[in-house]
Amino acid sequence: MNVIELNNLTKTYGKARGISNISFTVEEGEIFGFIGPNGAGKSTTIRTMLSLIYPTSGSATIFGKDSVKFAPEIKKEIGYLPSEVFYYDNMKVKDLLKYSGSFYKKDCSQRIKQLAELLDLDLNKKIDDLSFGNKKKVGIVQGLLHEPKLIILDEPTSGLDPLMQQKFFDLLKEENKKGTTILFSSHILSEVQKMCDRVAIIKEGELVKVEKISTLKENNHKRFKLETKAPMPQGFLQIAGVQNLEIDGLHVSFLYSGNINLMLQKLAQLELLNLWIEEPDLEEIFMHYYEKGN
Amino acid sequence: MNLFWREMKANRKSLIIWGIGLLFMVVAGMAKYEGYSSSGQSINELISQMPKSLQAIIGTGDLDLSTAIGFYGMLFYYLLLMAAIHALMLGANIIAKEERDKTAEFLMAKPISRTRIISSKLLAALVNVVIFNLVTLVLSLAMVSHYQQTGEQLDDIYLLMAGMFLVQLIFLAVGAVIAAVGKRPKRAAALGTVLLLLTYLLSIAVDLNEKIEWLQYVTPFKYFEAKRVLADGTLETTFVAITIVVVTILIAITYHFYQKRDLQI
Amino acid sequence: MNIFLHELKDNRKSTIIWTLSLVAVVVLFMALFPSIAKDSEAFKKVLENYPESLRKAIGMSLDSITSLLGFYSYVFTYVVLCGAIQAMNLGVSMLSKETREKTADFLLTKPVTRTQIVTAKLLAAVVSLILSNLVVIMAALVAAQAVSERSFDTKAFLLISLTAFFVECMFLALGILISVLVPKIKSVLPLSLGTVFGFFILNMFGSVIGDKAVRYLTPFKYYDPGYISKHQTYEIRFIVIEVIFIIVAVTASYFIYAKKDIHAV
Repeated sequence: MNVIELNNLTKTYGKARGISNISFTVEEGEIFGFIGPNGAGKSTTIRTMLSLIYPTSGSATIFGKDSVKFAPEIKKEIGYLPSEVFYYDNMKVKDLLKYSGSFYKKDCSQRIKQLAELLDLDLNKKIDDLSFGNKKKVGIVQGLLHEPKLIILDEPTSGLDPLMQQKFFDLLKEENKKGTTILFSSHILSEVQKMCDRVAIIKEGELVKVEKISTLKENNHKRFKLETKAPMPQGFLQIAGVQNLEIDGLHVSFLYSGNINLMLQKLAQLELLNLWIEEPDLEEIFMHYYEKGN
Repeated sequence: MNLFWREMKANRKSLIIWGIGLLFMVVAGMAKYEGYSSSGQSINELISQMPKSLQAIIGTGDLDLSTAIGFYGMLFYYLLLMAAIHALMLGANIIAKEERDKTAEFLMAKPISRTRIISSKLLAALVNVVIFNLVTLVLSLAMVSHYQQTGEQLDDIYLLMAGMFLVQLIFLAVGAVIAAVGKRPKRAAALGTVLLLLTYLLSIAVDLNEKIEWLQYVTPFKYFEAKRVLADGTLETTFVAITIVVVTILIAITYHFYQKRDLQI
Repeated sequence: MNIFLHELKDNRKSTIIWTLSLVAVVVLFMALFPSIAKDSEAFKKVLENYPESLRKAIGMSLDSITSLLGFYSYVFTYVVLCGAIQAMNLGVSMLSKETREKTADFLLTKPVTRTQIVTAKLLAAVVSLILSNLVVIMAALVAAQAVSERSFDTKAFLLISLTAFFVECMFLALGILISVLVPKIKSVLPLSLGTVFGFFILNMFGSVIGDKAVRYLTPFKYYDPGYISKHQTYEIRFIVIEVIFIIVAVTASYFIYAKKDIHAV
């Protein structure tokens, strides 16, 4: 079953920002990464899914139901952690979490205690007095306390120290094992690489690609670096599968995805001084998606 | 100076809205003078013999509503009230807004002392208040001279505006001091409002009973009342002195406390 | 229900402050009544030297304003003023505070419809106002009985007192409507103070110069204490206007809020 289905989701603000024709699906039990640079439209997409803002056209379907029409029903099973957390300042952590739990028709007190202990969060403090990182923890507990079937995270790790980040990721993985679907939005690739099964890449409001992390990494992407004796002839490497070609005098570097044999035959025509073939990291593969104007 | 201009710009819209309010108030108010049928000399005379408390309830005091300037004197009560609200909100918000809008970190990280910050902000507030006062003055002069009968003096309007300016200064300083001293800047304007309502209601209560007349020193609304200023042809020295002392002290406290303040971020 | 209780708790502090202030205002002013009654007796003696026609005109109005009900009506103007500010504050901040405090993301990602949110908040605001009014009316009644030497018309007294709530409801509705229409409200008080005092000044000024059209413009004039104490009922016309206004404003607010985009902080 598809937990999330976006169909040509479009949101425009006058002429400026917004997203256009975003379509992808997230299956049950997946950890789905949603990645793009700042301002690409990640938050806009998520806010539309949560019907905080309404689509200009297209639709989002969650648990098989339209996200606008059935908003309250859908939200029963969603836990949301925004990138910046703000809560009622004059409340105690305990009271806020209780208030949060009161929206769901189940007893969450046990779960609150458990999560707070795990994250080392003092329930008796006032929200006002918490540091940014601790507020974030309140956000995490608040998003997980009702054991949602779908967890939506919008840049969740900012403000958490590495140790806490690890705890948080472990927690998410545990939830995922129980069958929870997770949508994980981020601009930090290593996070996504560590957590996700599949990933959607968004740039300037448009969906660039949906890909399995494993495919992205395997996909025969190799980083080639070579040093030639004489400058490479112009247009020599204009063949399918070459990306990010950089020529700096006698040094040439590029990404290649395709038949290795073909490439090696091609390179054999050159007189090489040196050659490296490396496994690229995800960052490099994504870089060209990120660069503007492609 | 950049901070000063920033504040001027931030308050521009609100000042324009207040200006429109003033325009409406003065123009529509004075226009009513034309249609106002004075109840005649004998009633005026009778009213002037009434105890002060009853005059207050009837709402005219002992202003002579048959003259344009007397009628304007009644209008002045409400202009004064507007000016006080404007000054108080301005004073409280201009200091409190950095913390309220969470821009304090941005501003404090700049190479500028807190004293400079307060000075720039207070200067901007002062200019706003002066503009408010001048707009009122120009509108008032225009409208009253339009309706005046021959032989009426317009000089009293300058005097009333001077009084209004002093009251504005007091409320501006009160707003600033509350924001600078108070622990929660978000509540500064609310606290100021309570104070303003209190002094306003007090000024009415003072009219109702002569026994509590000493309370007039507590409420700035009584300092430069139209009926007194128009009757005396001058601002009372006592009240001018009180105003200067109070404003000086409040401003000093504002500087002092803002300097030592732990900013809420 | 949980939102309703949360709101009620959130309103608690300000409701208590407003209620206590209103009680203080009522008690303070009512305490001045005995001296007013004395003043009026003395003035009636002065009146005897005047021609009968004049005496009649002024004597009539004197009786009506210096009777307990008359004086209460005068005091009540200021009670309604404060109550209106309280109600307008509630109305404007009700929905806008979630955006201002950046808690909208929290609330609106919970499994509730926006309609349910507005309903819960509206109910909490109305209940806060009702509680506040109950306390103030009781205090007023006790104060009136304490200062009045003669018995007075309790029914009219209560009917007049009740109108504060009616006026408050209008400002509550107006406040909500403004809060969903204005895209970003940084601070509530200047907005609600400006609006309420605008209407109040219109009302005060209108009543001094006896303008009829003003009655329809400002809610402060919808329920005339003189009419109420004479006829023991309200003017149907104004009740109808009020009900229509509230229905239109609240329905529009529901509709606009349900369609509104809630943007990221």
